[in-house]
Amino acid sequence: MSAKNFHSIHITKDNCVGCVHCLGACPTRAIRIRDGRAVISDELCIDCGECLRVCPYDAVHSHTTSFAALDAFDYKVAIPSTVLYGQFGGGILPTEILSALRRIGFDEVYDLSSICELNCAATEEYLAEHPRPRPFITSTCPVVVRIIQRRYPSLCGQILPIEPPREIAAKILRTILPKALGIPAERIGIIHLTPCSAKMVSINSPATLNKSYLDGAISIRDIFPQIVSALRKSEEDALMGHLFPETQFSGIGMGWSLSGGETRGFKHHKAVAVSGVRDTMRVLDQVEAGLLQDIDVLECTVCPDGCVGGPLEVENRFLAKSRILQLVAAAGERAVVDPKDVSRLYHRNFLSFDHPATPVESNPLDRDPAKAIRKAARRDRIFAMLPKKDCGVCGAPDCRTLADDIVRGRARLGDCPFVKPAKATTRKKEKR
Amino acid sequence: MAAAEAVFHQDFPLKGGDFAKAGVVAVRIKELLKDLGLDAMTVRRAAIAAYEAEMNVIMYAWEGRVDLAVSPEEVHITVDDHGPGISDVELAMTEGYSTATPEMREMGFGAGMGLPNIKKNSDILHIDSRAGKGTRLKIVIRRNGHGQS
Repeated sequence: MSAKNFHSIHITKDNCVGCVHCLGACPTRAIRIRDGRAVISDELCIDCGECLRVCPYDAVHSHTTSFAALDAFDYKVAIPSTVLYGQFGGGILPTEILSALRRIGFDEVYDLSSICELNCAATEEYLAEHPRPRPFITSTCPVVVRIIQRRYPSLCGQILPIEPPREIAAKILRTILPKALGIPAERIGIIHLTPCSAKMVSINSPATLNKSYLDGAISIRDIFPQIVSALRKSEEDALMGHLFPETQFSGIGMGWSLSGGETRGFKHHKAVAVSGVRDTMRVLDQVEAGLLQDIDVLECTVCPDGCVGGPLEVENRFLAKSRILQLVAAAGERAVVDPKDVSRLYHRNFLSFDHPATPVESNPLDRDPAKAIRKAARRDRIFAMLPKKDCGVCGAPDCRTLADDIVRGRARLGDCPFVKPAKATTRKKEKR
Repeated sequence: MAAAEAVFHQDFPLKGGDFAKAGVVAVRIKELLKDLGLDAMTVRRAAIAAYEAEMNVIMYAWEGRVDLAVSPEEVHITVDDHGPGISDVELAMTEGYSTATPEMREMGFGAGMGLPNIKKNSDILHIDSRAGKGTRLKIVIRRNGHGQS
């Protein structure tokens, strides 16, 4: 698989029964049922994980890094998404979760909330220097970047070119750790822990970096059991740990994983937060039509309620969200990053994209405009013959998509169970 | 548009006051133009012009219709409405001029940028309006055109 077409989401063929749940859930209509199994189009998939959420047969999986794969490194560093702090009940504090990660084999663990605060401050500096265009769209959600590249190519220039906290954190650690530890950079593994099915995609084929600073991403779901057992074994240590809090959590950065959290710390700019993949697309349609120009930043995350609604978390997102909100309230407005440091890093372009996100070539009905026009007209005629039940039995998510597949040569009218064979022969008639 | 050319036609009905469907036609047009292989910037210009024209009908007219015609060279968006018409077209073309009601403004509409925005994003804009009867906007967007300033 080439880096360009790397996808994290894949179908486990043995589990797939060829039902229609994922067909309708896919926001880019990338899935078809072929020979009784779901097949995902490389071109159209944006790795949002909607199919993974709805599959009743556990047939959709996401490629993430296995814990065992970390043995390849001499020194293992974890930078967990702040979503992890919301996964455990019983008043377990972030410091305990971080030390549990050390106990299960990470040599060092870093909290991301401070880097989230840094990102927020850097974003405001960028906005102050760039009064146009409006709105800028944040790039934290890798799926949003990929949707824009494919469906809203004219908005590529509106993606705010500051790397998200996970990459900034990894870049900082990659800069300081080899010298501090005397270990060659390539022997140090820096791993993100995430509820997201798309982070592996942004690590393997980054849209705005020449190379990701992260070595992998472990799904919270995969590592959760180990953390729980480490927490169980260390209740006494946890008590002691409370008395010597070692990490300063940022109040501004703590809520980053909740929708609106990226921009909550803004002092001078106006932001709107959107979550959920369909709502994100609806609002991006409005931006492309020229609306929302009075907004400085549009924060989009395709998971419901933000990263806290990621498909690879364990706890239901409502509980996780409530716990994180408690942490946010406890941390208050505490800032842990010196604005001067932010400014210095910002002006050295340490936080910037290596290159802008570029449009991914679209997929018209035909490269020849006259042929494309004829195919579009034929597609309308075919659609008129279909039952509009959007049942999915033909293998396409809906009748309109089947008509599209037919003119692209990927399906036949006979695939529709409602079009009678007698009618199917009229295909010649409707064909020019 | 020459008669012999391949032309794709599609009609979209519009209802005045139907704010729940605001922008739906513009999105459909945008998707069609992408399928027809137009470049991203031309599609965006058409999307903005179509959106503004669609909103004019929804905000001011009783009913209307968008007719999309696409040839290999040009996109024609013709919007007909039955409505109050525009009494002073020249004034309506002024940036910031608007007859929107306070309710519309509260919803974020009526900034007086509609027609100027259509002009900016189209290569030809022709307005034919009769007071008390209705308005016809003829918008032409050329592939790789640049709009009017």
